[in-house]
Amino acid sequence: MGCCFSNDDDKGSQVGDPHERTTLLGNPVSNSSTRPGCDDYGSGMKYPHNQRADEQSALNRILHETATNVIDVSAMNSHLEQHEYLDRARQYNQRVAATAQKYTYPQKRPSLLLDLPATEKNLSASPIPQKDLKLLKSACENAVNALQEIKVQHQEELVVQFGIP
Amino acid sequence: MAEEMKKYLHEIMSQIDGIHAVLITDRDGVPVLKAATESAPELALRPGFLTTVGMATDQAGKLGMGKSQRIACIYGKYQVIHFNRFPLMVSMIASSTANTGMLLGLEAELSSLVQDLKAAVDVI
Repeated sequence: MGCCFSNDDDKGSQVGDPHERTTLLGNPVSNSSTRPGCDDYGSGMKYPHNQRADEQSALNRILHETATNVIDVSAMNSHLEQHEYLDRARQYNQRVAATAQKYTYPQKRPSLLLDLPATEKNLSASPIPQKDLKLLKSACENAVNALQEIKVQHQEELVVQFGIP
Repeated sequence: MAEEMKKYLHEIMSQIDGIHAVLITDRDGVPVLKAATESAPELALRPGFLTTVGMATDQAGKLGMGKSQRIACIYGKYQVIHFNRFPLMVSMIASSTANTGMLLGLEAELSSLVQDLKAAVDVI
């Protein structure tokens, strides 16, 4: 459900994957314990090299994440060479042929809604005879009447007293 | 052999009016299995078109709504539906007047076939 504070599956995607509310500078730098703050300025000065390396790696990570998240339309060109394409297609053909040997035809599931390829043929078909239509109608009416006449007859008392003095 | 699989694709295609082709490709647009009628537009069967779609799907996954599962593009004469079944892509090319809901509903019918083909692709 999309309610506020709901604990459903959306949570996983929001925690793991970057999304529109993910702050770029949220986790790596500002929350880092090695970041020089007002309180531990002195201790930060003791390990300038480590600190710089941490910041550098954090920045690199941010850069990498940003590069992954950027929608880059210029990268839409295919990098596949013609011969690579043909090689791979051939390999696929061989693999598919091997897989197809043990392939079982899936059972067709019954469907209520089916698309009709030639609608005009069905529409131009002769209608059902009036006699059949009457029979259908009367059968339906009988069924409806029978349903309406179903009644519950109570045989015993609905409320039973359990030995109340 | 693979003919049996193609036959199954053709059978599925015969259920829906206006469908021209069903292609199962990898992320680079290399066809693993395809079935097409003569009326299928040649451009939509080219690797360049199919590769771009694979990449567009990946890029569309960055829009902040999670990974894209299906893409439907409706053009003047044709409509193209893609299912993202990593590492494969299922592309269907149909007439723009074809029933889009029926085309999207084919995903379930194709799932077992795609599952079988995944095994073939994963090895490479």
